[in-house]
Amino acid sequence: MFHMVLQNSIAGMAIGLLYGIIGIGVCLFWQTTGLINFAHISSAMLGAYLFYTFNVMWNFPIVVSFALAIALVACYGIFILRGVVHKQIMKRRGGRLEFIVATMLLNTFMVNLVIVIWGGVPYPFPRIFGSPMRPLRIGRVAVQHHSLWVLLFVTALVIGLNYFFKRTLTGKALRATAQNRDTASLMGVEVEKMTSLSFALSTGITALAGILLAPIYFVSVELGGGIIGIKGFASAVIGGLTNPFGALIGGLLIGLAENFAVFYISSSYRDVITFVLLVFFLVARPQGLFKRM
Amino acid sequence: MRKFRVIPLVILLIALFAGSVFAQETVKFGLVAPFTGLGSILGDYIKEAMMLAVDEINAQGGILGRQIEVIVYDDEASPATAINVVKRVIENDKVLVCFGPNMSSSVLGVHQVALENETPMLVGATSPSLGFDQLGNPWVFRLRADDTVRVENQAEYAVKVLGVKRPGIIYGTTDYCTSARDVIIKKFAEYGIEPVAIEQIREGDKDATGQVLNMIRAGVDSVMGLTHESEAAVFVRQMRQMGLDVPIVGFTAWGVPAFTDLAGEAAIGVIAVQSFTPEDPNPVVQEFVQKYVDRYGRLPSDPGQAYYDGVYVMKEVIERVGSFDKHAIREALENFSGYVGLQGELVNDEKHNLSRFTLISEFLGDSWKIIQKY
Repeated sequence: MFHMVLQNSIAGMAIGLLYGIIGIGVCLFWQTTGLINFAHISSAMLGAYLFYTFNVMWNFPIVVSFALAIALVACYGIFILRGVVHKQIMKRRGGRLEFIVATMLLNTFMVNLVIVIWGGVPYPFPRIFGSPMRPLRIGRVAVQHHSLWVLLFVTALVIGLNYFFKRTLTGKALRATAQNRDTASLMGVEVEKMTSLSFALSTGITALAGILLAPIYFVSVELGGGIIGIKGFASAVIGGLTNPFGALIGGLLIGLAENFAVFYISSSYRDVITFVLLVFFLVARPQGLFKRM
Repeated sequence: MRKFRVIPLVILLIALFAGSVFAQETVKFGLVAPFTGLGSILGDYIKEAMMLAVDEINAQGGILGRQIEVIVYDDEASPATAINVVKRVIENDKVLVCFGPNMSSSVLGVHQVALENETPMLVGATSPSLGFDQLGNPWVFRLRADDTVRVENQAEYAVKVLGVKRPGIIYGTTDYCTSARDVIIKKFAEYGIEPVAIEQIREGDKDATGQVLNMIRAGVDSVMGLTHESEAAVFVRQMRQMGLDVPIVGFTAWGVPAFTDLAGEAAIGVIAVQSFTPEDPNPVVQEFVQKYVDRYGRLPSDPGQAYYDGVYVMKEVIERVGSFDKHAIREALENFSGYVGLQGELVNDEKHNLSRFTLISEFLGDSWKIIQKY
């Protein structure tokens, strides 16, 4: 019995890490712009499809495909800023509400665009993170190589982001812009440049998340239209929206709660638990698990 | 000036006249299938197989001397679009027969149009709720075996051939999955067998550890898969990872490339219910496969064979009644039998199912091996 509980915990953490990594992108965007981007998850989908196109269809090397996919999605982030926010919303004196509606619709548009270009049938992801059939076995417990890769990427990402925001001048300027645009501008921060950077950074990281998710989620429109976006958002809210590390813990919490709900209650309640947790945190602890970073 | 007005008028008259002459020489078949949207790949398979049959018949002189003209519309796998295009194909284009839609929920939304306009509708959708016993629409006929028949065959195979005693069931949340679950539980009960684990996986979920562990705890001796393709791939992979080594008998979504491509080597050994496989050694099927590959450069896939058969059924029916009268055609369909197609002999039953054809096959890694035919 003990090995079953352990196996369930490990699988829960593995999927939770993936929710968390989507949550990190949500946090990053909120941290630097004070907005929620509802087209956020489309970046993950684009990242996965572009990587697949470069690596599998065009036979580019893995590293090149990785870099190209992430860079292109970062450009897509800048397009959201210039094409949607500046051209459409600010010109028409729209605010947060308009941004939410615009990004929601943009997400639907992107999902349909992907269906037109790549078709609606999911593609299997190449086995660059190890074969799912031959997991690492520790005693009677199986651990996916993919999960270890995700753990590695996520740890590096959290440490890197922490360093970037706290130690570098650009990082500090980004935080200053988020806190108060006018003051930051008066202090000599190039506010426009910083906003572009924050859009590019959050979409780029989400693209990375998309590529990491693809071995589990396949290269499918589910990455852009499915429940993963909501779960990533829930992880960010549970973690406090301002703390990438918190989003990760939030994701782990959801992953574990879901898997144990299946194990001890019923498999039909799997998704219910995410929303129960989300509502609980919104009501009882709206500031999230952790304080502002 | 005046003669310049006369010339276009004459051209117009000629065009109209020519048009009416041309229209007399063709018989119009409508096709409504998904070419964009989530089911887009199915539309291509359906259209390709159907056009193959149509061109063969046209090359041999058509039906009662008339060439077949196919009018194709895209329903985007959406019931809302289906209602628009079905209305258009039946009311504006005035087709003799409408093939499709292929999605059960779309057929539920549009079958009334066929009834109001008294036009036969031949569909490949498989939900039990479309049967004549449920729908009560005399104009709708089904070209493939319905899901009830197929799930019953799945249970029968599991019990009689594999000898399962403690099956576990994994199913999804859509109508396709839940009605299959109800049918299989009922069928198992007829054999005095009660499933020891009934687990659900939601569409889009990518982790089934809990469900697999519950099956291990319950001590299942086999798994009945009643999910869609992606969830089937997730479940099978995790079963293999966690060492649950029992026979897997899956429903139709477990017998298509969309599943085997995603699951990879984990799919090897999976037994599934199929409506069609290009590996079927039946010479009629092999001839069809050969013609299909020669023309399109790829293998045909389910549900293409149903529409190929459907076109020939229409030819047969029209030739039997000797006219293009829709009422006579409907009645002939009602009593249809005696035509052997890709799915064996097509006989209309009380549910308006023209076929009960089901295959039980095992996946070998790059192809399917047919174990049993029903």
